Amino acid sequence: MSLAVRSAFRQRLAASGPGWALASPAVVWLIVFSVLPIGLMVAMSFWKSTIYGTRPDFIFDNYRRIFANSLYVNQLLSTLRIAVSATIISLLVSYPIALMLSRLKGAFRPGFLLLLFIPFWSSYVVRTFVWLPILGRNGAINQFLLWLGVVDQPLDFLLYNEGAVLLGLVYVFTLFMTLPIYVTLDKLDPALLEAANDLGARPLQAFARVIVPLSLPGVMSGSIMVFLLAVGVYVTPQLLGGPSGLMFGNIIAAQFLSDNNWAFGSALAVVMMVVVLSVILSAGRLVGLQQAFSGGHG
Amino acid sequence: MANPPTKEMPAAIQLDTATPISVSVRNVYKTFDTTPALKDIALDIRRGEFFSLLGPSGCGKTTLLRSIGGFETPTSGTILIDGKDVGGIPPYGRPTNMIFQQLALFPHLDVYENVAFGLRVQKKPKEQIDGRVKGALALVRLEGYERRMPSQLSGGQRQRVAMARALVNEPSVLLLDEPLGSLDLQLRLQMHEELRRLQRTLGNTFVFVTHDQGEAMSMSDRIAVMNGGVIVQLGTPEDIYERPQSRFVAQFVGHTNLFDGKVIRIEGSRVTVESDGISLAATTPTPVELGQAVTVVVRYERLGLGAGDTTLRGNVAERMFLGGTVRVVMALSGGRLVTADIASTAATGLPAIGEPVALTFNASDSRVLVA
Repeated sequence: MSLAVRSAFRQRLAASGPGWALASPAVVWLIVFSVLPIGLMVAMSFWKSTIYGTRPDFIFDNYRRIFANSLYVNQLLSTLRIAVSATIISLLVSYPIALMLSRLKGAFRPGFLLLLFIPFWSSYVVRTFVWLPILGRNGAINQFLLWLGVVDQPLDFLLYNEGAVLLGLVYVFTLFMTLPIYVTLDKLDPALLEAANDLGARPLQAFARVIVPLSLPGVMSGSIMVFLLAVGVYVTPQLLGGPSGLMFGNIIAAQFLSDNNWAFGSALAVVMMVVVLSVILSAGRLVGLQQAFSGGHG
Repeated sequence: MANPPTKEMPAAIQLDTATPISVSVRNVYKTFDTTPALKDIALDIRRGEFFSLLGPSGCGKTTLLRSIGGFETPTSGTILIDGKDVGGIPPYGRPTNMIFQQLALFPHLDVYENVAFGLRVQKKPKEQIDGRVKGALALVRLEGYERRMPSQLSGGQRQRVAMARALVNEPSVLLLDEPLGSLDLQLRLQMHEELRRLQRTLGNTFVFVTHDQGEAMSMSDRIAVMNGGVIVQLGTPEDIYERPQSRFVAQFVGHTNLFDGKVIRIEGSRVTVESDGISLAATTPTPVELGQAVTVVVRYERLGLGAGDTTLRGNVAERMFLGGTVRVVMALSGGRLVTADIASTAATGLPAIGEPVALTFNASDSRVLVA
């Protein structure tokens, strides 16, 4: 009886306004900043581009063009590879930092956090640009090597390739990995580690069996963040990549900025969005399955 | 020290000097920064003993327990477990397992994997793990809960998982850090029985930390009462309750009336003490001198309405029905309060609040503490 009463109450609550009223700012925000732009982009991907500009239409020419040429697909694949590599490297760099940070005591912790944040007070473009005077032909590293006498010609392979792009991406996005991992590690109850220790786990075993699994949510959100940021960049490859280090973002940007083919640009963007979404969903699925399996035995 | 079974709580096994020592704490000091937490702790806990460390918060009982488990390093002194000095040995190298105050179950592992954790890290063979985990779960009556996550369990069930997780490793010494604090009273009483049953079945040494004197008394073979980083009294529950050696123990364990006064008459172990113009008959465990300042201890339940060696007269200030007993607070003419717990069956003729009343006790039920 009380159950029926309760569910009736819940129904009335759902039917009445307050819930919607409270949610409305979020809904408006979602429509203005997410649904509308994406809808417009999807619509435009079916439009027709002429020398007189982009005209509303419903044609599949733009998509046909993407898949007719292996260049675009290959570029998309290499972009995914670069973004995944940047994510993995960021994870490897960030995890020890986050772990150390979560173990720091007293005034060291805010101090260290501040050090991590300071570079982020300057713009992303500037932080990318600084690699030019470091890695360039007349850059700091080459000057140093020449001065040491290790080389007698400046090294050219430091810049304008995929490696330089990866370095730039990891440098600018690593904080987005470090912070969520740090937050999950910081929330970790120290008694759990003591319990693991007490039950016979050596520090490495406790790390593998307790710390790592419990920090997975942070690793997951950090990875998604870095992957998303890295997969869509075009400034980093433009500045550091050279011809071989181009990414999909550069091709899309070119449609809007120089080729003036917004319809094709939209189609490219839609393809990338779909691919990125499916990558993230399947990655999430994989981790979800793993967590389900970790409880299994026998 | 001999440890005879008491009326209230028969001991599981006879513990005497022939029983090997399980945990030996020798002159242990622990200082945090500059605050001393343990001062010259020395005690021997015998194998198979249910030993409680009892005291108010901040008395050092948890620090002592954590030192035995290897989570704190004593500033000086030695701890031996099964005759072996465990100084410098980390928790994972000690034959101890701990049940933590907040239980610290692994939230990402189900009941089975929580219990199996210790065996897995020791890389025991699979069949052995399965057998022992099932055995441990049966021991705490949690069969069928293997696949539940800790978040899907009730407080009492989580408690049992924590016990199974520790006991499955067959520790020589089980350390319990106030694990029952978060449970409601009924469940706590149930867990007391459960713990006692487990301890008798398994015969491990249990070291139990608590601030609840009732809990310590009902379960322990022996109790060390701690205060301010030192052991103030060590003995059986009966010893501690009947023969408190200090004002602190008298007040901390059980409910007690204390009368400060001077010895005015001595007849062997029986003395008369004068306190604020009242003469009190009491028994003294140690020789006293005439005129010596002492404290007379009378437990609430040792005061009655019938005849006795000492009669105190006053007015009823408060009465509370506690179920089996009625608590009477009597105000003496000088204003000081005396409390008695009278069996409900004997309390029928009890005067109402404000009415005069006489409370009595015998010399054998009151005890002299040398201040």
